[in-house]
Amino acid sequence: MVDHLTLMTLHALLIAVFFSFLWKSDKHERTVYFWKVFGALVLGAIALGWLMYPFPRS
Amino acid sequence: MPERPPAGSRSLPLAVLMGLAWLVPGLGHLLLGRRTRAAVFFVVVVIGFIVGLVLDGELILPHAGDPLSYLAAIASIGNGMLFFVAHSVGLGQGVVTSPSYEYGNTFLLTAGMMNLLLVLDVHDIGTGKKEW
Repeated sequence: MVDHLTLMTLHALLIAVFFSFLWKSDKHERTVYFWKVFGALVLGAIALGWLMYPFPRS
Repeated sequence: MPERPPAGSRSLPLAVLMGLAWLVPGLGHLLLGRRTRAAVFFVVVVIGFIVGLVLDGELILPHAGDPLSYLAAIASIGNGMLFFVAHSVGLGQGVVTSPSYEYGNTFLLTAGMMNLLLVLDVHDIGTGKKEW
């Protein structure tokens, strides 16, 4: 349950569903927007994690 | 499917609608005839809130000398009835030593902020600024 990727994905899922229903009215637009937000959050976080990899922890 | 009432038409005063929208996630949209969106918003906010509690998150209240806690408290209290119910039964105290404490806080604060956005959305629909 504490797995970071799982929690991050769940968080991204909730956010993407919320904003797609908040900001889009058309079903097709909503679906496209959902995948854009969900993908941006998950893939963006993974990419950011890799970019930070060379930096020392302390 | 029943016809959706037009934006701007409402049976309750706007302030009451916004208050109810804050208390129960999605209730404002339900009262404005947006049933599907009301159900989705309710499920999303409640799931976020419950996951936050399960992950030992804290329902943050203002702490003297900690300015950021005031902002966090706004987001926490933004959960409306969920916040008060959880507090009344002793949930959301937060376990700082738990590995998932920060994750829990993130979910709780996010749920509260989403609910506050719903209040603003109800305002926009209620005043006719938003058509759907």
